[in-house]
Amino acid sequence: MTNTGPAIVVDKLCKHYGAFKAVDNISFTVKSGEVFAFLGPNGAGKSTTAEVIETIRVPTSGTVTVLGMDVTKRKAKVVRRIGVLPQNFSSFDRITVRESLQYYARVFGCRADIDALIDLTNLRDKSAARFNTLSGGLKQRLGIAIALVSDPEIVFLDEPTTGLDPHARRQIWDVLKGLKERGKTIFLTTHYMEEAELLADTVAIISNGRIVAIDSPAKLTEEHAVQMRLTLNSIDSAAAGLIRNLGFCPVPKGDDNLCVPVKTPEDVHRILAEIKRSGLTLGGLDVRKPNLEEVFLKLTETPAAGDQDRAR
Amino acid sequence: MTPRIIIANLGVRLKSFYRERSAMFFTFAFPVILVLVFGTIFTKPEHLNFDLPVQDNSRSEASARLLEALAAGDAFNVTPVPVAVDATEYAKEHKLNLLLVIPKNFEALQKQRVAGPHPGVPVPLTYVHDPSSTAVETKIQLLDTFVAAANQKATGSPPAITLVAASILSKRYRFIEFFVPGIIAMAIMTSCLSNALNMNAELRQKGILRKLATTPITRADWLASSIVYQLILSIVSTVAILLVSYFVFDVRLHIGFWLPLILVVEVIAFVGFGMLLTPFAKEAESASAVANAFLFPMMFLSGTFFPVEMMPAFLQTFAKLLPLYYVNEALRATMIFVDDAATLRAVGVTAAFAAVVFVAGTFKTRWDEST
Repeated sequence: MTNTGPAIVVDKLCKHYGAFKAVDNISFTVKSGEVFAFLGPNGAGKSTTAEVIETIRVPTSGTVTVLGMDVTKRKAKVVRRIGVLPQNFSSFDRITVRESLQYYARVFGCRADIDALIDLTNLRDKSAARFNTLSGGLKQRLGIAIALVSDPEIVFLDEPTTGLDPHARRQIWDVLKGLKERGKTIFLTTHYMEEAELLADTVAIISNGRIVAIDSPAKLTEEHAVQMRLTLNSIDSAAAGLIRNLGFCPVPKGDDNLCVPVKTPEDVHRILAEIKRSGLTLGGLDVRKPNLEEVFLKLTETPAAGDQDRAR
Repeated sequence: MTPRIIIANLGVRLKSFYRERSAMFFTFAFPVILVLVFGTIFTKPEHLNFDLPVQDNSRSEASARLLEALAAGDAFNVTPVPVAVDATEYAKEHKLNLLLVIPKNFEALQKQRVAGPHPGVPVPLTYVHDPSSTAVETKIQLLDTFVAAANQKATGSPPAITLVAASILSKRYRFIEFFVPGIIAMAIMTSCLSNALNMNAELRQKGILRKLATTPITRADWLASSIVYQLILSIVSTVAILLVSYFVFDVRLHIGFWLPLILVVEVIAFVGFGMLLTPFAKEAESASAVANAFLFPMMFLSGTFFPVEMMPAFLQTFAKLLPLYYVNEALRATMIFVDDAATLRAVGVTAAFAAVVFVAGTFKTRWDEST
């Protein structure tokens, strides 16, 4: 069955646990073939939302359709067309990588190319290793391979790189880039901004159970990010007054560093020229463009509108 | 229910079981060890004898005849106690629960009893005992029996009444024959209940249940594969118990069509019961506690190790509320008494219990974590 419409449609979704509103009236659409990153701080409701879409949890109210099917009414059909890497993925301890893939292939009743999946996730050397002997990164790669065993149209990856070292994280990203190139729709839950910025076509930021922003990473940055930042390292203490006289607001950062919010590259040139002219010493500098992390911090550090309602 | 999924689950569970040696030990070796231990203790009670320390203060021909008669029976292994010591202190010091004292004038008293001046006055034998010892009652009873037989013999006339044994069984059975069916029932119950609870808690704790919830596996598939898996373990465990019993203790029990049927019904009953209890055992630690809370009372109150008739009346009534009691009854009815009607009655009660807990257990098994 081919789906020509959106991959996922979430409409007025609520998930409550007693008085606590884990997910509070959210709506969004995930287009077919895109990487949709769902960002939020711990406890914001991103995993709960993902688990409702994955058919693990039942919504309190609202509707969720996956490939045109209501997840609460057609769970059996939905699970055959999605692949899921749950948060903190685990498998049977004494079963090997290859046996685990064979098990899930039998459960789905599909003729999966186990060797191709092992190669895709770079697990060739570990195919005979038991699950309880794998490192965190290898376990996650196996989890991704298992999620792909039924060749699903949508792949859900719930915090696939949490707890991994930078090297293992980059290996997972390489796998995800491969999936993206193959045109899979990917629903990625993460709290790593770098991950979302690198992989996602669309980013939704959830805070306190509500979506506070949704757009492409570039547009979100453009719309919400604070200014460019110039950091001056090992600078003379007199520099702060000098820069302030130019109309900027320098902020001390550490013992002898200054952070200066600027708007344009010309502002950077003006400040550096003034420092050179006055003969002050400068150890080094760093100019940082606005990024998704700043957007995230800005949008999630203050309570979302309507939080008083949540508290009630 | 999908056979393909049941076979896939079965494969994973059997491989996991085979690769975990401790699980294999507790499932197969533990009941076999129980059979070996209890079999060794109780198989040949006629060879059971007790130490009987005797202080012979008489050192006469009469006391020598008495000691000879005591030693001749199978009941006692007579050991001498020094004459010079105080018998009570000696018993305390050497932690003896029974010590027989032959008085110094034993021979003289015997002669007086026969020839006067006080004919018919019995000759006293003192025993020093420790009433807190559990074994002493049996030893005193054996000593009483010995003395009664000696008195009877002394009268010179044949006994007025003798007991003739007539068994309800066509052949003579030993304790081990009654014990083996109980161990089979207990081993299956323990394996089914513990595995159902521990497996579920482990899968839930590790988040594997969450992953399985996003696959086509249904509750019925999972329960069916659990039952087939437990049935395989139960068959292997039962065969191991029967083989050890046969080769080590020469236990020959009737093995007919009822036995596999009882195994199937028991497995369904206790896997279903385990599933029913899973909401109370969400973590590995609580799973063991919940399992033990049900396993131990059933193990000791259902007639596995000793007959229910030995218990007070209220506990006997309670025992009849326990499913394991009926499994024990069914297994003994078919394997010892070869009584089809009694087997059918006990299997019927077990099957009714199995049906109820299986249906309830099916509804209690949750894949998702919705509340």
